[in-house]
Amino acid sequence: MLKVQGRIETIQKFKAKGGKIIGVAPYHYPKAIFRAFNILPVEIWGPPKLNTLESKAHIQTYICSVVHSILTYHLKKNLDICDMFLIPHTCDSLQGLGSIFLDFVKPKQKVFTFYTPRGRRSVDIDFITKEIEKIYNMLSELTGQKPSYKELKKHIEIEEKANLVLKKLLDQRLYLDIDDYKFYSLIRTKEYLPAEEFIEIAKDIYLMYKKDSKIEKTPVIISGLLAEPMEIFKVINQKNGIVAGDDLAITGRRLYPPSEGNNPFNRLAKSIINSPPDPSRGDSVDFRVKRLLEIAKKTNAKGVIFYIVTFCEQEYFYIPHIRKRLRENGIKSILIDTDINQELSQQAITRLEVFMETLQ
Amino acid sequence: MNVLKFIRYYLMTNLIGKPYLKRQRKIGERKIEKITGENSPLNPPLKITAYTKEFVSSHYFKGRYIEGVKPVAWVTSGAPIEILKALGFFLIYPENHAALCGARRVQMDLIKTAQKQGLSQNVCSYVRTDIGSLLSGKTPAGKLPKPDLLVACSNICQTVLHWYRMLQEYLNIPLVIIDTPFVYRDIEPHQVDYVKKQLKNVLLPIAERAAGKSLKEKDLKEVIKFSKDATELWLEILNLCAKRPSPLTVFDQFVFMAPIVEMRGDRETVDFYNTMYKEVKFRVNSGIGAIKKEKRRLLWDNLPIWFKMRELALKLAEKGINIPISTYTYAWGELAPLMDLNKDEFEVMARVYLSPILNRGAGHKLKTMADMVKRFNLDGVILHSDRSCKPYSMGQMDQRNKLIEEFSIPAMLLEADQNDENAYSEEQTVIRIESFFEMLGVSNG
Repeated sequence: MLKVQGRIETIQKFKAKGGKIIGVAPYHYPKAIFRAFNILPVEIWGPPKLNTLESKAHIQTYICSVVHSILTYHLKKNLDICDMFLIPHTCDSLQGLGSIFLDFVKPKQKVFTFYTPRGRRSVDIDFITKEIEKIYNMLSELTGQKPSYKELKKHIEIEEKANLVLKKLLDQRLYLDIDDYKFYSLIRTKEYLPAEEFIEIAKDIYLMYKKDSKIEKTPVIISGLLAEPMEIFKVINQKNGIVAGDDLAITGRRLYPPSEGNNPFNRLAKSIINSPPDPSRGDSVDFRVKRLLEIAKKTNAKGVIFYIVTFCEQEYFYIPHIRKRLRENGIKSILIDTDINQELSQQAITRLEVFMETLQ
Repeated sequence: MNVLKFIRYYLMTNLIGKPYLKRQRKIGERKIEKITGENSPLNPPLKITAYTKEFVSSHYFKGRYIEGVKPVAWVTSGAPIEILKALGFFLIYPENHAALCGARRVQMDLIKTAQKQGLSQNVCSYVRTDIGSLLSGKTPAGKLPKPDLLVACSNICQTVLHWYRMLQEYLNIPLVIIDTPFVYRDIEPHQVDYVKKQLKNVLLPIAERAAGKSLKEKDLKEVIKFSKDATELWLEILNLCAKRPSPLTVFDQFVFMAPIVEMRGDRETVDFYNTMYKEVKFRVNSGIGAIKKEKRRLLWDNLPIWFKMRELALKLAEKGINIPISTYTYAWGELAPLMDLNKDEFEVMARVYLSPILNRGAGHKLKTMADMVKRFNLDGVILHSDRSCKPYSMGQMDQRNKLIEEFSIPAMLLEADQNDENAYSEEQTVIRIESFFEMLGVSNG
């Protein structure tokens, strides 16, 4: 297996070279802007399997486990290694988390927020352009630096390249002879590695595991926020399945297409706005179903696993309609509720196993 | 407009609806005279109570026959409705309808219907009630008119975006989303600009197309004035509750707020609150409180528990506890000062609709609550931890602790739900409330 650098090691190395770290909650944000200021975004999607006693003093049990984990991790001082935080406005729960950070918990580090518009209209592009510029100005004030447009462009291009290599890996998944657990462990390093280092990892994955013909396994698509607990991959692989299609917020929904333009903020804005369909952006059922059917057609997947973190309303809403439309197109689906801090239940495992059998 | 439908609308609303509702009002008024006797801890309700039911019912009654007469829009409670009203739209608020179902205790069947179709129990109970009503056709309002347009504004929560996407999926009609960025601290110019552009460049052209006519500035100004006037009156009424004894309980306010939410922008709504103000003022001047013996005064945070209003009102009143104010009812009045009639209407609407309490940070809500504790002379706080409303409920634990710290008053977190009885435990609630009574120094005996 490829050896990759862990989070702490990456952070320590980056800081040793004079860089700073920003802890980033899920999930859309203009990564390149931070890199231009020599700030490395390290995403916080948990961590999983955490005892979230501390967060329950601040937020109710009906808030999702991802938010509970982030808050607990901070309260346990595990995020003290970060120099600042960014809490994008992704949903009502992350909205609340941002508010709690700013008004109650009040870490000593600076807390940024970032609002992604709920639309793909020209007014939305204009707004997010200004929102990105606002982040730039705030970072300028904080650091005393003012990276030029040329500098910004350099970082935008490298992030675009990192997105493209990830896209290539996901598109070519059926030709990569590596099990899903290892595959996702590797590609999720994009959450913390500098883009240039991730690109090298991606190249190595491609070279090491690329086969000339498709892997003969039952392809499925996975949809949701993130694939935690990751044991799901073992269950799928044990039933001779492979996750051939990715509709996860953590990976596949953030394949930002490259963009153009002289204004770097506008270029980043267009890239984010034109990302794949996503419930956090309020995208329509139609748009989402079309994408899933496209992925199914490319990969020959006959099934979709909706792997939904319990209490994640924005995922739940669309499930009945999407499942109905998939069924009409001959695609089976299953809904598995998860808690990132719990083991995958035996009930869920059994249901998944049966589901995989029905696809074969 | 379809002439036959207009004739039917006119005949039904004027020849049948009005007299029927008037008769119901008279019956209601006679009932009110009998309800509160010597043994009730409540004083007689306001005379306008029966008329409130008539007023709101007449809106729904008109809705049964409005298709083909006026364009219809289903809108979120925080939507910038003034543009739609000025274009002659008849408005239905699915949230209010869901609340009505909860108050009438018909919501659970509707919730089951929605859940049977695959909607998760972890989705907001208003949504499950509304979708259940749509799928089953059942509603205590008789019949809801099919909309020509859906308008969702994200200033109350993100749930509404998904909810209205679902409605669009079922109804196959245009949906306009007015995205209002969340305000963690202060409103910023690019946020105002964004909302303003959406109103002018997105909502307006689509609404004009659906209405089949262009917006006239004078009509918009008139509607905004009516909105402002009604909102100001509602604010003044609520501020009168700072007096001891409070002329209203929050349970009264939850009922009386219906017109400001769902008939804002109408001249009749201004008249309604004018009449109500006079009656409330009279009660204040005469020292007549909503409850007979007001010993303690509390703040209610969050939405009501619609299906338990009467029980809670009585239980608290029996102990001499009045709740003169809530963050929820106040939200419909506190924006009145922002409605500046001398400024550009779209700029004003953009600022107003960015400013609701649910679109502001938890620190802002805490300041609002602290201010209420001082101004309304409050002895404690009940924070309804509403499972269905994450934007309202997140931050409550810290808010409770801060209020206790600052004012040395008891503050209780009450876990329940606005509409879903499965998320409500009678026993637990009773135990918590009774412990709270002890903390307030009102005995259980």
